[in-house]
Amino acid sequence: MDLKQEQPTRLTAAWPWISTLARLGLAVVFLISGGLKVTDLAASGRAVNAYDLMSWETAKVVGAVQPFLEIALGLLLLIGIATRLSAAIAAVVLVIFIGGIISAWARGLQIDCGCFSKGGELTGGRTAEYGLDIARDVGFLVLAGILLWKPRTKFSLDGLLLGER
Amino acid sequence: MSKGTRDRKSAQARRIVEQQKAAERRRKVTLWTAVAVVLVLVVAGGIGWGIMANQDKGTVTTPSVAVDEGTAFAVGSGPVTVDLYEDFMCPICNQFEQSTGGTIEKMVTDKRVTVRYHPVAILDGASNGTKYSTRAAGASAAAAQDGKFLEYHKVLYANQPEENSSGPDNAKLIELGKSVGLGSSFETAVNDKTYDSWATKVTDTFASRGFNGTPTIVVNGKQVEGPNNTLPTTAVFEQAVQAAEG
Repeated sequence: MDLKQEQPTRLTAAWPWISTLARLGLAVVFLISGGLKVTDLAASGRAVNAYDLMSWETAKVVGAVQPFLEIALGLLLLIGIATRLSAAIAAVVLVIFIGGIISAWARGLQIDCGCFSKGGELTGGRTAEYGLDIARDVGFLVLAGILLWKPRTKFSLDGLLLGER
Repeated sequence: MSKGTRDRKSAQARRIVEQQKAAERRRKVTLWTAVAVVLVLVVAGGIGWGIMANQDKGTVTTPSVAVDEGTAFAVGSGPVTVDLYEDFMCPICNQFEQSTGGTIEKMVTDKRVTVRYHPVAILDGASNGTKYSTRAAGASAAAAQDGKFLEYHKVLYANQPEENSSGPDNAKLIELGKSVGLGSSFETAVNDKTYDSWATKVTDTFASRGFNGTPTIVVNGKQVEGPNNTLPTTAVFEQAVQAAEG
């Protein structure tokens, strides 16, 4: 072993910890956003409907299904099962969210993105902060990206099943 | 072949077998955890879908006086139709009532407009779980059934709770009804929540028409708004009605 390989080894040892933080962070994000919506599925449906991207009937179904998917994804990430696949699904979901916000922005809609709330139309001088919403979602996307790239994490079911310590 | 070479060879072979075993295990774990993830997500989505499908099943008691597919209460008989979607918890709805309610009343008396009030419930999340929006909308339907929608509508706004407070309980809603002359049939309907599921239906209809916020004010099918999606002033509203009169 020469000295050149000493440095990368230290980083290699750090990656599982970085990935673990990303995994748990992303899990919390999905658990919170799903948990906030799951208590009122009709409101969740209206939030989806506010994007004006699909029929009301479809928006209602998406609005009812979405919070449960978010919570399930949050739990899967929390226990760390099929981390790379879970991260990939999270990334796809986040890209869809970002796309929705950009589309609402482009069409000049004044809506609450419904990311961490029940959403809907903004009234009474509240203005949409699409830029911030997108920046936040991109931040979450980075977490998912880390996991896609380095899916090995500590305290994960994956690790347990593969006999890692 | 010397003994040393044989030992090396067999060690190598063992290592290869172990590597193959590890790879096999990794492959299995990857496959089955992926299957588990997909299953969990499908089941979770199914739960959401199932809950939603069941929510729609309940029977709805539609007040017989309701118009517009049974989702609104009409006041007046003028040629121009004004649709007003309101949530009794919504402060801006109250603001519109205070600023423009008088003008609308005069238009009704002058037989210029027919106002259709749609009591929707989109702010149930803003009353500490008591679902004030739904309860108030349901109570307003009971008032309408007894011919006193507008009176009750006014007294609800006069006693509007702060957002994110529990809001008046049912006893208080009944007391407010009595203050405008509503009687025992109203009391029964509020206590039995007779029209609460109807309020949900009104809210569904509202959303299905592509509206998201309250108040939504529609004059002869055209939504009236101030600049930048703000509440229209009384002048803007009057102009809209005049335009509709042609």
